Amino acid sequence: MNSWWIRPLVRLVAAALLPVAVPGILTALIWALPGDPASIICPPAICGGTEELAEKWNLHQGPWHFFSTWMKAALSGDLGNSWRMQPGVPVVELIAESVPWTAALVTMAFIPLVLGATGAASRWLSDKLDPLIRLVGLTPSVVLALLAAAAVTIHYGANAYDDDAMRVKILLGALTLGLADAALSGAVTGVRGLMEEERKQRYVQIAILRGESVLSNTLPNVLPAIAGQMRARLLHLLSGAVIVEVVIRIDGLGDLLWQGTLTQDFGVVLASAFAFAILSAVLLLGQALVEIGVALHVRRSPKGVPA
Amino acid sequence: MMQNHKLLLSLSVVVGTLALSTGSTLNFYEESLPSSMNPMFAQSMVDNRVHELVFDRLYYFDPITNELTSRVVERWELADGGKAVKLFVKKGIRWQDGEALGADDVCFTINAMLDEGTPSPIAEKQRAVFSGCEVESKDTAVVQFTQIFHNPLNQLGFYVLPEHKFESTAIQPDDAFSNRPEGTGAYSGSMGRRGVTFGAKKNAHHEPRIGQLSLQEGGDPLVQVRTLLNNGVQGIVAVPPPYRADVSASDELSLKSYDLRSWWFVAVNQDKPYLKDKRVRQALNLILDRTDLREKSIGVKPGEQNSPCEFISGPFVQTSPYYNRSIDVQPRSDLEQAFVLLEQAGLTQTGGRWHYKGQPITLRIGMKAPLNNEAPDLLSQIGNQLSAGGFDRQEFRITVDDWNRQVLTGEAEDYDMVVGKWSFGLVEDVNPLFHTRNGGRGALNIFNYTNPQVDALLAQYQSAKTDTQARDAYHKLHEKLDDELPYLFLWKLDTKSAWRTEVRGNTIAPYYYWTAVDNWKYSP
Amino acid sequence: MSRWYWTGLGLAAMGCVLIPGFFAPEHLSPSDLSMAYSSPGAAPPFGTDSMGRPLLEYALQGSRVIALPSIVAGLVVMFFAVIGGLIACTGSHRLEAITRAFGELLGALPRMVVVLIVALLMPPEDRSLYPIAISWALLAAPGAMDEASAVAARLGGARFVEALRAHGFSRFRIYLWHIVGLNLRPVVARQGMETLMQVVFLEIALSYLALQDTQPSFTHGDSEMSWADLLYMGYQAFLEVPTWHAMQLGIGLVALVALATVCVGRAVRPR
Repeated sequence: MNSWWIRPLVRLVAAALLPVAVPGILTALIWALPGDPASIICPPAICGGTEELAEKWNLHQGPWHFFSTWMKAALSGDLGNSWRMQPGVPVVELIAESVPWTAALVTMAFIPLVLGATGAASRWLSDKLDPLIRLVGLTPSVVLALLAAAAVTIHYGANAYDDDAMRVKILLGALTLGLADAALSGAVTGVRGLMEEERKQRYVQIAILRGESVLSNTLPNVLPAIAGQMRARLLHLLSGAVIVEVVIRIDGLGDLLWQGTLTQDFGVVLASAFAFAILSAVLLLGQALVEIGVALHVRRSPKGVPA
Repeated sequence: MMQNHKLLLSLSVVVGTLALSTGSTLNFYEESLPSSMNPMFAQSMVDNRVHELVFDRLYYFDPITNELTSRVVERWELADGGKAVKLFVKKGIRWQDGEALGADDVCFTINAMLDEGTPSPIAEKQRAVFSGCEVESKDTAVVQFTQIFHNPLNQLGFYVLPEHKFESTAIQPDDAFSNRPEGTGAYSGSMGRRGVTFGAKKNAHHEPRIGQLSLQEGGDPLVQVRTLLNNGVQGIVAVPPPYRADVSASDELSLKSYDLRSWWFVAVNQDKPYLKDKRVRQALNLILDRTDLREKSIGVKPGEQNSPCEFISGPFVQTSPYYNRSIDVQPRSDLEQAFVLLEQAGLTQTGGRWHYKGQPITLRIGMKAPLNNEAPDLLSQIGNQLSAGGFDRQEFRITVDDWNRQVLTGEAEDYDMVVGKWSFGLVEDVNPLFHTRNGGRGALNIFNYTNPQVDALLAQYQSAKTDTQARDAYHKLHEKLDDELPYLFLWKLDTKSAWRTEVRGNTIAPYYYWTAVDNWKYSP
Repeated sequence: MSRWYWTGLGLAAMGCVLIPGFFAPEHLSPSDLSMAYSSPGAAPPFGTDSMGRPLLEYALQGSRVIALPSIVAGLVVMFFAVIGGLIACTGSHRLEAITRAFGELLGALPRMVVVLIVALLMPPEDRSLYPIAISWALLAAPGAMDEASAVAARLGGARFVEALRAHGFSRFRIYLWHIVGLNLRPVVARQGMETLMQVVFLEIALSYLALQDTQPSFTHGDSEMSWADLLYMGYQAFLEVPTWHAMQLGIGLVALVALATVCVGRAVRPR
């Protein structure tokens, strides 16, 4: 039985579940943290009103009550106010001002990955450069990030949050993210490996003999795998963005998540995780659609490519 | 004609300078971002300083004359046989959004503090002082106390909040006011993720000359000082001691004293069986070599003149009238004497390590994490000295949250010792630190220290009717604590700010810092 | 170069990184201000810090912090990679679908935050790299499982097993030797080494962030030093503090870990 639809279906289901599951899992985890935000602001030993505050913040009836109340409100667009990170500021505002920075950072970091993958697939990027790319990729992102932070601090000082400085930070951050932790090297070597394996297949040799292009024959077959690789790279970039944003001090989603976790600002943590989960879900959806598209194309194709 | 040109030129220079002054931004580094812009939820000195810019306290000590005065109260009268004061609010003062300040705002603030729905330790403390407030007229409020105070105005040092900005007296920490406050102070403030910006607000009682202030989170002290030297910022509120030499060496910077009355201590957990005996605590006191600690962590060499760091033997700074000069400090260790005391207390030494009832003692020492910036490596230096004294040790840095939640509330029972710092304003009330924790008293008693004699002395201070009585009570307290040693007192450390010389008239008020900010001038 | 060359070099590099940790002192030496900021020439082998304490002790303590937890994390990932490869050879679509769905979910979690929360859960006296390393390994496992199952799928999956069964080999031998030993070995070993390297870098990153934010360490007790302390010291060299030797040592240690990973990868690459 042809089971080509199983993978994309699994991805679609996972994409649908992610925005709920990720905040849910995080709620369970942060509930286990010692103390709670209400008792940090108003320690019961020296302050009355802790219980009322906990009730106001839905902390009084366990993690499920908190999560379900938060989820209901979140689905109607209400993410509440920040409790501790920036008390009184609507979380929606914090997310809205963070997402563009992370998007800029990750997009710019993704560009060299796309170029590298394209170069590797089409062979215009010579494999003689692979050792150099791998060497750079071995550098941990924290090392490059701290060098970047030093450069910004020395040059800009207290103006390190002006527009000019932020642009430089994004650029340096993107370079860090894109090059360190095997981001670029993984994209290049991964795609190159995939394409070279595919090129060895007999049907490709036959296609060459027939005068057809290699890419038009191999691409439909490797596209799902490439899409999967690039999705993994993007997720890797999103994860690495937390370190880069915190070290270089970029006001992105990763930094928001980090600060929210340190201050036990549950609303901020869940909202940021929600945003991350949606991004991941979109990527999963994209990959599933690519797989479906390729499978349909292959099924309709008369060129003898295996369905 | 030429004369007119010269006049015009001079005028334009003057106007330009003024414009520069009022339009310029004064950037400075603080120790951290404030936790909230709402004074009801202040948790740190940073919060206090920030609130001083945005709000007015009902009464404050003038930093120059040291007199208790008010910017918002015209005059006052005793009422209700001394259990209340009638305050006459000045006319013409406006909130930063243009609304008029009145007696209703004063009473609203007091009622908010009394409201059980306001989850604030500050409010909780004030519930022991105030019993209510009545608005007699638009500008007259009658503030009622829970008891007769011999200096009632001293109790009115709280910040006034605007009634029209809140829906009820139950103020919540996540209210929008905590980020975009409205005060009657010299500056309006707005907190961002990386800093706080303050805009000058002229008022009947404030006329700030600097157009904008910008507070930024300090981070690495070395980076702060370098940035200051490069004119990336114009000031640092608290320069850690190891970096003061760099600041002093520059002609473009000046180091200014910030009277914070801070003293450092090591609190000892007397609930631990091996620390119950005061001879053990006295031995620990003798094991510590304060001179060595000071040299390695603060950078003050032995015998240095005009040291910013003076040893203390009790819970006051040496310049305080409450400090008992007859109690000597212990600048150097005395291991021999320490070992004698430990043996007398029943501890035994095996393999160079002290044992209690056959079990080796490992001392768990914690320190509030941000203090490492001011005294780098102090925790490990203390650990080294205790190790040299024959104790194994484990060192812990305690986050600010855990410090507030556990240490200050007496729930840090896992630690044997914690290193910390207290800061006081002109009123050095140490009752909350040493009184037995009950009924709101002893609210900051770290290890729930309890001693009836100490409680009696603290009560004596509380009920003192004159300064002499208060001083006598605290002198005896100092003597008692030197014997009991719930704390090993380390030193008082001067706090210094660094400002570029382009900033003039920058009088720094004790404790609150910005009280005289109206006189500050900045011409870049 | 021969496989044995890479194996030897890799093991030597790993040995230099991991073994010294077992000889690390419990606490740093007492301070000696007269030796502050000494270069490696004045205070061999690696110079001293601002208190005159040898940087060698930083390196040793850092090695102790990372040694066993990173090895454990590597082994966890290797285990899951083997499981992923074996599942692909069972021919069970349901099992594959469940594994994939679970992997997608795990893979979508923001790793740094999960790791941070796990770190914050530990009581101060129990802070160590283990829970973080294992969490990271679990979050990285889906990727390793994917790659291993892709390799197994290229072999032919269940049909490969059938073919070997037809030759008379037992299932046990087929799974353990033919599949895992001969075919999955390169990807499993490489994934394990990469996870080890990632955990080391993760420890450095978390410790650095804790230093930067004046937080207690997430990965080790506060009486111990990490390699991140070397990098943090080295960062100050940009601000004219004489700590370049600390930066060099820190980067050198990082390079040693990377070298070990590359060498092992080369040693186990498919013929």
